[in-house]
This record gives sequence, C-alpha cells and structure tokens, in this order.
Amino acid sequence: MGKPQKISLKEAAALINDGDLLTFSGFTIWRRPMALVYEMVRQQKKNLHLFEVNGGTHTEVLAGAGAIKIWESCWVGHELYGKLGEGVARAQVEGSIIVEDYSHAQVVARLLAGAYGLPFFPTALSMGTDILNPKFDMLGKAGMRDGSNPKIPLKKYDVIKDSLYDKGDILLMPAANPNWALIYASQVGDEGTVRVFSQCYVDSEAIKAADKVIVIAEEIVPDSYLRQEPEKNLAAGYAIDYVVELPWGAHPTGSQFFYDVDADFIREFYQASKSQDAYAKWADKWIFGVDSHEEYLEKLGINRLENLRANSVLGYSTSIKRGTR
Amino acid sequence: MTAKNYTKDYKPIDLLAVAAAREVNDGDIVFAGTGLPMLAIMLAQVSSSPNAVCIYEAGSIDGRPIDLPTSVGDSRCAYQASIAAGLTETFYGQLHCGYVDLAFLGGAEIDKYGNVNTTVVGDYASPTKRFTGSGGNPDINSMARRTVFIMVQEKRRFKENVDYITSPGWILPKWPSGEMVPKQEIYGKFFTGGPSAVITNMGVFRFDENGEMYLDTVHPGFTAEQVKDNCSFDLNISRCKGETELPTEEEIELLYNRVDPEGIFLP
Repeated sequence: MGKPQKISLKEAAALINDGDLLTFSGFTIWRRPMALVYEMVRQQKKNLHLFEVNGGTHTEVLAGAGAIKIWESCWVGHELYGKLGEGVARAQVEGSIIVEDYSHAQVVARLLAGAYGLPFFPTALSMGTDILNPKFDMLGKAGMRDGSNPKIPLKKYDVIKDSLYDKGDILLMPAANPNWALIYASQVGDEGTVRVFSQCYVDSEAIKAADKVIVIAEEIVPDSYLRQEPEKNLAAGYAIDYVVELPWGAHPTGSQFFYDVDADFIREFYQASKSQDAYAKWADKWIFGVDSHEEYLEKLGINRLENLRANSVLGYSTSIKRGTR
Repeated sequence: MTAKNYTKDYKPIDLLAVAAAREVNDGDIVFAGTGLPMLAIMLAQVSSSPNAVCIYEAGSIDGRPIDLPTSVGDSRCAYQASIAAGLTETFYGQLHCGYVDLAFLGGAEIDKYGNVNTTVVGDYASPTKRFTGSGGNPDINSMARRTVFIMVQEKRRFKENVDYITSPGWILPKWPSGEMVPKQEIYGKFFTGGPSAVITNMGVFRFDENGEMYLDTVHPGFTAEQVKDNCSFDLNISRCKGETELPTEEEIELLYNRVDPEGIFLP
C-alpha cells in the first residue's frame, strides 16, 4: 500500500507473467491500455488468461499474437470499424484458445463480486440461454475447474432459489479477481488518485477486483488538483501499484476529451486480423517495427494525431471525417 | 390533424429506421444498441416521442447527443447526459431494477419464439464460425418490458432452431435439464416481458399468445408469401394486416439532415 511506483512502459510489461489472468479498463474501442498491450506482444507474453467485459482492438492484438490461452468474456469486435473479432473467432474455431462465454451483465456481476470481496454476485439477467447450458462449460470440459488454479471457480455459475422474498431462481456469478488490471486513465495524481473523463465503464470495478494494478496515464497531475473535486475521482492512490505516464497511450482507441478513435487505423488492423500472415505483416510494422511508444507516435505522425485531438468543450474530435457525406 | 406526407422515395434501411422509431412510445425509457437502434431512438426523439429517454450500455443515461455516436461507448453518447456512469449503473442500476421499457437490439439468427443467436454457427463446443458474441443483448432483452429486434431477412437467419440461444425469446431451455418452457417459468417474479416485434427489410413481425412469431405487416414491394419464403420455419401470415406504413417526407428529412447528416449509418 501507499503511493504507486512510477515505472517505464517496458518495466510495466515485464511485470506480467505468462499465464497471468488479466482484465482491462475501457469498453470496445475506448480507453484501452494499447501501448502496454503492444509492449506485451513485443515481450512475447504467452498463455494469457483474459477476463473482460466487451473486448476490442486490444483483445484482437493479443489474439493475433497467439498470446491468449483462455478468453472469458462476452463480445469482441471493433464496433463500426470491424464487425468481428477475427483473431478470437479463428482461434476458437481452430481450438487453440478456450472461450468461455458469459453475458455482458454476468461478466459485470463477476467483477462486482471480485471488487467488493464477495464470493459471488446474484443476477437474474440472461437466464434460459445457452450461456448456462452445462454442455458449454468449456473450462469444466477442459478439466480446469478442479481448484488447482485459484483464479478459476469450481463452477461456471450456480443457481439458488430466492428464500427471502420467494422471487424464484436467481443466478450466482463467481467472483473474478484477476492478477492484473491494466488500466488506461485520463489523469492520475502524483499520489495515485485516478480520474477518468465521461463514462467510467467498469474501470473502478476492474481496479478493485485485481490483485495488482498498472495505470497508463494520459497525464500525471498534482493530486491536490484532483482532490479539489473528489466526487469526480475513480480510485484512491493506494489501490494503484504502478503508473506509467504515456500521452496517446490509448491510441488507436479513443480517450474522451483527449482524442477520438482512429477509425482508419482500426479498419486497417481489422483487415489484417483476418489472416495470420496479414497480422504478422501488420505487427512487423506497428509493434515490432518500433522500439518504444515514442517511435510509434513518430510513425503515426503529427498530422494524424492532431486530426484526432478532441475538442476541449465537446470531448471528441470535430475535424475527423466519420461518414460518407 | 394534418394528413401525413407519405413518400415512396426511400431506401430499405430508411424504412427499417422509421418502422423501428414507431415502436417507441413517448416517455419510454429505451435501452439501445449500436447502429440502426441508434437511428431509431434518435428519430423517435426528434419526431413522435420527444419525451423518450435513451440509455446506452457503456454508461450514458439520457444523453442528448448533438452528433451521432458510432458506438455505445462513444464520447458523443454522454454529451449533456443526466448521468455518465458505467456498466454497473446501466445493467443493475437501470435495467435490473426495472426502469427499462423498450430494448432495441440486433441479431444474426432468430427462431419462431424470438430466441436470438449472436454467438456461433454450429455446435458451440466446436463451432464453424464465431460471431461477436452476446454483449449485453441477452441481458437487455431479458429484463426490458418490450424488445424490438432489427434484423436482415434471410432464410438462413430465420430458423426453426437457432444454433445457440444467446438471447432469450418466449420459449426457453430450463437448465440443467434443457426442457423448453415458457419464459415466465424461468424468470419467476423477475419476469417483465420479452420480444414484442422483429423488424426486417421485408416486414414487421409480432408474437402471439403462445409466444410464436407472426407477420404483422409486409413492407411495400413485397408479398406475405415472399416473406414466408424467406423463413426456414412455417411463418404464420394469416394475421398480416397489410402493408407497413410508409415513411413520411418529414421522417426522411429528419433522418438524413438531423439524425445522420454525416452519413455514418445511412449511405
């Protein structure tokens, strides 16, 4: 406990071990810790176990690199800029990763239980679906619910009859407590207080549920500034273990009030994600072809980045062309 | 009341958005997904249902976007919102607690009971194709009072049985046995409703007392028989009450000039 340690991007990625259970900040193509994900691929992480709300471009970068062993989630894609998570889909069809589907609100329930120190969280959402079909308990089928991995619950879910108000059956979703929450945040104080702008997704639940937390911060600001309006803050500094200050660290995903989603970049990645060869070429250019985040930004170029920069009042770019008109 | 200026000058996607917008009652609390659902709720808000409110899954409650969002996590969703929160708020603080009147969702495959698949083709344990996955579709659909699905009409998408029930319709498997029972039996006192309409490029469908889909109206240019031919299950067309109401000039004008002037979803 205490103040988080300020480290470099390379040091941050080096902390993550093969096989660790990870979760992320953000939502689909918004506020993802992309720079850290790229660095993990550069450091050739393997057998990662992801537990996450709706996945996105970061998931697909890791899937294409063959870094994922288990993916527990509910959705992956790039929104309007790529309709499928091609890497995850290909790996699931090939059988090279274990996919365990929950519904989105069930994933949230698992994170809530983990965040609040509860063994489970109840939910009546998505009952009567094949998500609950016992035949489709993929970690169970793989013999991984034997208690040997403390991060994998003994059952995919449980059902109880409400004995208090007699409302009927309700699901119990097991807590998720990842080894790491990899968070991209808008601002972090010099004592570690975390603030995100606009929608907070499940960022605070991810921070609380994880054993250790790395925050990639768009900027580090004086804690005294953040403490003037504590109601806007997401997490206390003692909940954060490591901080990396990294402007544009979420690119190509968007960061409210800093920059918009780089739609062209994601479209190009999506096309590349459709085959292993194309992914390898893409990764040679954008991941292995640069040695640092700064080199990556240089390669993107100032015009591209300036075009994405958010209008400081509206919170998004007003100069990008988004549609056909 | 002045006569409506109906127009035949529209694209199929326009009619989808207009027909969907007409499912909104003024004052409804609407939970909408990305794409056409966004066009539908925003069109409703600027035309027939100014008091309808929109919730987007990623955390914005009653936003007043002045620029069309491209996804539910978009900054634009939260512009002038009453609350910019997160998924715990939208799924539990809004949906599970019972605020949501209407859900607008999509789907890849549907069966006659309104069960929707957005997960895989083939056996889940060894699928031949993966779609995006559930996302919040089954959550929103399981506890909204009404759900409207907006889909593409194809024989392979309107199936006797979907390969995987991602999102719950009216007749569902009760686990662990898998016996098919009415939704009310599974949801008990949590039951709030279910799919109320399916809108495709060919028609508008609703569900009867037994939870079975029937054709309610057919879009101009198609016949009920053509719709039936584009379903793998035996579609009930006996209750079809005629053609879907045409869009009005005002609705088309609002769609192209107010809702999506940049041409994000409307080509």
